[in-house]
Amino acid sequence: MQEKPNIILITADSLRANHLGCYQYPLPTSPHIDKLACEGVLCENMFAPGIPTQPSHTTIFTGQHPVTHGVVAHGGKARLTRGSPWLPEILYEEGYTTCAVDTLFRERIWFGRGYEYILDPSLRHMFYASVTQEELNDRAIHWIKTVPKGPFFMFIHYWDVHYPYVPPERMRGLFYDGNNPTDPDNHELDEWWHHPIGAMARDTWLRTSNGLIRDPRYVTALYDREIRYLDEGMAALRETLEQQGMAENTIIWLLADHGESMTDHRICYDHYGLYDCTVRVPTVVHWPAGKLKAGSRLAPFRQLSDVAPTLLEATGTLIPEEVEGRSFLQQLQGQEEPSGYDRVIGLESTWQAKYYLRNSRYKFILARQPDLLGNPDRELYDLAADPGEDHNIAAAEPQLAAAMETELEGWLADKLQALGKTKDPVKEEGAVAESIWAGHRS
Amino acid sequence: MEQTPRKEGSDDIVAPEPPAAPPPEDPAPAMRPEDEALVAERLRELGYIE
Repeated sequence: MQEKPNIILITADSLRANHLGCYQYPLPTSPHIDKLACEGVLCENMFAPGIPTQPSHTTIFTGQHPVTHGVVAHGGKARLTRGSPWLPEILYEEGYTTCAVDTLFRERIWFGRGYEYILDPSLRHMFYASVTQEELNDRAIHWIKTVPKGPFFMFIHYWDVHYPYVPPERMRGLFYDGNNPTDPDNHELDEWWHHPIGAMARDTWLRTSNGLIRDPRYVTALYDREIRYLDEGMAALRETLEQQGMAENTIIWLLADHGESMTDHRICYDHYGLYDCTVRVPTVVHWPAGKLKAGSRLAPFRQLSDVAPTLLEATGTLIPEEVEGRSFLQQLQGQEEPSGYDRVIGLESTWQAKYYLRNSRYKFILARQPDLLGNPDRELYDLAADPGEDHNIAAAEPQLAAAMETELEGWLADKLQALGKTKDPVKEEGAVAESIWAGHRS
Repeated sequence: MEQTPRKEGSDDIVAPEPPAAPPPEDPAPAMRPEDEALVAERLRELGYIE
């Protein structure tokens, strides 16, 4: 057996942790992912320090906080500097054959860095995120069977769970027990039509021969069907590795770049807002030859910046000092007691311009500019009493809110000083998509 | 629809298949080519894609 492990790093875009069985979802959306978690290790508290897709993936591959790499917005002005560490590039230099089954390089060029192969079946679609797991797997499986002669790193980015939720026809009937998804008297989604993404959904994939889909429970069922469809793809991928005799020494690392709101916090089927439904992401690591502590669940806080250094350590590669995340390989292997961060600080700068500070008990959210939902600039949640983050206690607990704000601002000031930067990147970018949203509402 | 919590990842769990005859009220949305084009156009306006 080759000494260095193969790596298949998988991001399921917009996959909300608590819609998976292994994260206590009551519906059977994910039998194969659950099995993977049972045989591997699951992280219960993995957080995205930057959302949505572009900031988060940039953190995954650089091992850096968004304030450091500077990509704080999706579709923003900032560009990743050429000297930033980049996981596929480092592994390529270590002798890995690198392959992306992905479309992100079509959004920003740095997502193509370090790959000897880029497979992109989405070229067959008008909209690249319409590419399905079957189309991606078709290319990925063919490549795994025919190309690598030594250790390989493959990145697969599945879009199925990202809107539009259009699962295969054969999933019809799953996860919905209502009786009229297109009831014209149902107005629960009306507010969504005032958001550009909601209007786009109304004008396209929610239009059916039965009429416009108006029942949020049905939209959630579509999302869950997409997870089930993705889950089938995971099974196909594992079957290929078994057939090729590669399963033992291949690391499968499944995660999400961010979650999805469903209808929580008046954010419909999207991934903004710094609530746990969106910033706490699923993470499952499977590596039979790596002596992982199978079936264990790590509770301490981790961040997506920890993924790259952990994979580098697993391959015996020196971790560049510019990487800020910390490897937790020894914890995955049960050789160290689980430990992690006391707090996570994260941000968004796309539909809203905000920071969050989360510790084991509280979440504090600070807006750099007023949001269009009319939320106050400061939100504080007691996660022990209110895990859904439904009751803002900032006004009732002003001292605690002030203390967390001071802690957050102090961290940011120190960070910027250490980086030799002077400007807050979230203030600098602002909420890059907000003006379009505002124009849409007017 | 199953609503009870279940064990995680056990081999003895068989996830239910979709019904052989889907309920007629289930409209099964689809993305038509013109929908894909419209989605791409709107997301390009947003700066989400280039």
